[in-house]
Amino acid sequence: MKYILFNEWKGLFRNQLFLYLSLFFILALSVVTWLGIVQNQKQKEAQEQAKKHIRAQWDAMEPTNPHGAAHYGSYAFKPNTVLNSMDEGINAVTGNVLRLEGHTQNDLVYSEASQSLLISKFGKLKPSLLFQFIIPLFIIFLAFNTYTKERESGRIKLLLIQGLNLKKILFSKIFSIWLIGITLLFFATFIQIIFSSIIYDTNTLLRLLALVSSYAIYYLIITTLTVLLSFVFKSSTSSLTLTIAIWVMWSIFLPKIVGNAVENISPLPTRIEFQKAMNEDRSKGIDGHNPTGEREKKMEKETLAKYKVDSLSQLPINFDGLVMQADEEYGNMVWDKHFGKLYAQLEAQKKNYQRSGIVNPFSSLQNMSMATAGTDMFHHLEFLKQAESYRRIFIKTLNDKHAYGGSKTGNWGWKADNKFFKSVEDFKYNTPSLHSLWSKYFTDILILLIWVLVLLALVNYLSKRISIL
Amino acid sequence: MKALNICLYEFKHFYRNKPKVLAYFLFVLACFYALYSGKNLQKKQQETIVSIELKQQEAKTKILSWFDKGEKGPEDRPWIDVTIPFWAIWYTPTYAIKQPTALLPLGIGQTEQYGYYKQVTNWSSTYDNDMVEELSNPERLLNGNIDFSFLLIFLLPMLLIILTYDIYGLEQDLNFDKLVHVQTGSTQKWIMARLNFYTMLLLFTVVLFIVTTAVMNDAFEGHFSQIISLILLSTVYIIFWAVTFYFIITKSKGSSAQAFLMISVWLLLCVLIPGGVHQLASIKYPANYMTEYLDVNRKEAYAIFKLSPDTLAIRLKTIYPDLTKTKHGQDSIADEGIINNTMSAIINQMNKVAIDKIELQNEMKNKFIVSSYWYNPVSFTQNKWNSLLATDYNAYKVYRDNVQKAIDKKIQLLVFECWDKKKVNKDTYENYSRILR
Repeated sequence: MKYILFNEWKGLFRNQLFLYLSLFFILALSVVTWLGIVQNQKQKEAQEQAKKHIRAQWDAMEPTNPHGAAHYGSYAFKPNTVLNSMDEGINAVTGNVLRLEGHTQNDLVYSEASQSLLISKFGKLKPSLLFQFIIPLFIIFLAFNTYTKERESGRIKLLLIQGLNLKKILFSKIFSIWLIGITLLFFATFIQIIFSSIIYDTNTLLRLLALVSSYAIYYLIITTLTVLLSFVFKSSTSSLTLTIAIWVMWSIFLPKIVGNAVENISPLPTRIEFQKAMNEDRSKGIDGHNPTGEREKKMEKETLAKYKVDSLSQLPINFDGLVMQADEEYGNMVWDKHFGKLYAQLEAQKKNYQRSGIVNPFSSLQNMSMATAGTDMFHHLEFLKQAESYRRIFIKTLNDKHAYGGSKTGNWGWKADNKFFKSVEDFKYNTPSLHSLWSKYFTDILILLIWVLVLLALVNYLSKRISIL
Repeated sequence: MKALNICLYEFKHFYRNKPKVLAYFLFVLACFYALYSGKNLQKKQQETIVSIELKQQEAKTKILSWFDKGEKGPEDRPWIDVTIPFWAIWYTPTYAIKQPTALLPLGIGQTEQYGYYKQVTNWSSTYDNDMVEELSNPERLLNGNIDFSFLLIFLLPMLLIILTYDIYGLEQDLNFDKLVHVQTGSTQKWIMARLNFYTMLLLFTVVLFIVTTAVMNDAFEGHFSQIISLILLSTVYIIFWAVTFYFIITKSKGSSAQAFLMISVWLLLCVLIPGGVHQLASIKYPANYMTEYLDVNRKEAYAIFKLSPDTLAIRLKTIYPDLTKTKHGQDSIADEGIINNTMSAIINQMNKVAIDKIELQNEMKNKFIVSSYWYNPVSFTQNKWNSLLATDYNAYKVYRDNVQKAIDKKIQLLVFECWDKKKVNKDTYENYSRILR
């Protein structure tokens, strides 16, 4: 088998077109990977600048009423992971800026896609674009006639007469071409590590390894399928036509069709419906600014009893701060209900999309690529959840200061000093570790592996069944 | 052999070739699906707009009933008084809406990246949170929709490859290419005639879909020039691909090489060049975090709130010089109530300055994209198509301008009515509703 494999490589390297194309790919991958790093770096710098700018304003805040500061609010910027330079995933279509303020949970705004004319329907020229669209096509062109060529020239008979095993010939052809794809993958990874200005932590290295492994598995699928079709079909043209048709269906048609279908299966509300439902639920709680309802009266009674006083003015604390926090906590329940339902719908859509990998392994690859790069929907939702958790702590800190910082009920003119505002920590996003996400991507991994096993088993089976002599 | 005979011969070849017929019918089916899905989006938008208009009408009726009953506002909010301009205008429901074009099913373009309705208040701006796109699955947005423009711009060249990759290539594979020359006299003319058949077939299919959609959406009356432009654009685009493939066919050896080259050109023009331009544009103009706009709505707005009424009055008079002609325009001491009610005009002015800068940065990025058109024909066609359907960035820029006009109108009315301390009755309120419709 080793001999056949080397022989295949020799044959390929004797082909000038192959050499030129390989050189082109190596150059293209180098440039594209480097550009990806540059673009990511520039975006990170812009984000860092914006972050510092916003924080500096907060730190420079003059003595202010804590509730005024809750309205003043803060901003969270969606961070770019290191591997965003390889696969940008959904980052260009989602917003970048999230306003964190009292009384409301906001949505991300200002997506890059909304800031200019449409350029590319397939995204930026990043390594993922080459990995997902171009290299598989290159593999197809290397593999589509790898067997038919042997049969048409009669060489296959010669090889079999010499005592070689058909199964071994087919597997050698598969692995020789697959290794070319792997080489290109490792080359891009090497460039990524070399040109990145940061030292990779274990999580990023693991992610990179998982990303490369996913592509390696997908390339094995593509190579095996192409060689299999080349083996089954009598002419190179027929096998090429069918393989290209499959490539078009997998990479271009099905992701869009399935994407639309899953959205129809679990439809999302319109923004106006979503807002209306939240407003309705919200209106049933305490209005922090206009606390006249039953809930507020009950709360007042309880607080007076707790502090053993008869009136709000006798309280050693500021009751307004407590009301604001109660309002906030009611609001949090409303957000949890509605945003929770929305996120659950999105996750249901994602699960259905993942299942489409059964007919389209490209979806599983796409999912894995974005997941390992930290640029898919799960990471997006994770960012939103972390930002919302921070907002709740942030607003509670301000409300607590309002309530227990030394002011009395009704004293809206009371101000917390700058030292206090400076002590409020900034939002920090923690990229989830890869192993914490395995359960979410199990379907994709399993499907990719099943595809490989089924195709290899088919090659094995057909190599014994189909007579070529 | 005459060109017509070759075309007829090609027709026979086509209908006898099941994979080609299947590919063509799959494309036609995909077109139906795309138009259906575009129509659905159009319908959904129209339904949402109708529900907004209904909501607007209901809100207006409710306020009018307050006037009829002699009430000043909702029972649980005693501080509201709709007989003063501030609250009357606050309670005049104002929406800015971008109606979907009648030709939307032919391509949704960037529609899903933007909002298409906005409630306008005294504190609104064109970069508010509610100006963003509808709730949608971001991964679905990333993959995009199978809309008609996608099929025309990206899939149609692919179909043309499937239909034409073996023209002359097959003859070369079977070694009777020289026979073609002997029988036809000119191989080039023979290739061209065969290619013409498929070009005409696709052209006819696309034009038929455009015209049918226009007829079904009753679009000929209002969008005649756009329809003609769409037909011309698609014709030029299809011919561009046919010419490119013609050169590939004449220069290649064998159907496999032809298919390989055709796919490579497709990848280059549809994926690599647009992707490269996209990447360069992002390096040159990274995504904007809108800090200038954020500053206006946070730091600078808070600084404004701290200014004295007299200073704010001067700033308001700078924005609206005619304020001096109002009832309180000549007051030596500014009325704090009036100033508090109208200071949103100052924030609006500051927002406009910050937004102009953002729009300018976006414009620079767009100029960069437009400058790539001479080597990036696919993006050119795509944006031209979207522009004809009013679904591109520029169409939404126009919408944002309209939103800004609505905000300006509302604020101007608010400022002058407040400075004149007008008394609002049912007729005045109805007049406000008419102005702010």
